Amino acid sequence: VVPGETALAFYKAKNPTDKPIIGISTYNVVPFEAGQYFNKIQCFCFEEQRLNPQEEVDMPVFFYIDPEFAEDPKMAKVDLITLSYTFFEAKEGQNLPLPGYH
Amino acid sequence: MSTAMNFSSKSFTPRPPDKGAFPLDHFGECSAFKERFMECLRQSGYESAACRQSAMAYLECRMDRRCFLLFPSFLLRQLMANEPLEKLGFKDLINEKSEEKPEKS
Repeated sequence: VVPGETALAFYKAKNPTDKPIIGISTYNVVPFEAGQYFNKIQCFCFEEQRLNPQEEVDMPVFFYIDPEFAEDPKMAKVDLITLSYTFFEAKEGQNLPLPGYH
Repeated sequence: MSTAMNFSSKSFTPRPPDKGAFPLDHFGECSAFKERFMECLRQSGYESAACRQSAMAYLECRMDRRCFLLFPSFLLRQLMANEPLEKLGFKDLINEKSEEKPEKS
């Protein structure tokens, strides 16, 4: 991925149970310092998503790495940035630390 | 001598996406485009820059799709809000496309 260029990535999620699951996901970026340069244009995260029994869906993330990443001397040795998502089952009354952007 | 100078808590703060969330493609309407993109990535050794045309095609699919569900309140549901492709970082690819047309006439 070239800093400044938009890129697309896909994840896949499956609901292996016999009941619909409503999930919500959040993400993490490693190394930590690279996270500030990671910009998501659109993704499947932070909103409740419903997965029907046995359903498997593709989950896209459309993003770009801030071009200033290439200028940051601290990032000179970083050639691998890992983006991971964790899918939680949304439960009533559960408050996840989500940024409010609605 | 301790040189730890971490004043901040170093916890990662997730930020929301600029343009919001993608609805899930439950019916796999754009799966073919996704497969084409993934195939391109595999063939190019996972070079994102080599597959921008396929990525653009996938996003165009999402924007064109109307997801017709049975419930009246969800009759029209796009898989992605319409956005000019130039604003999604595909400006150079659009210019290539429009340059081809005058040559053909």
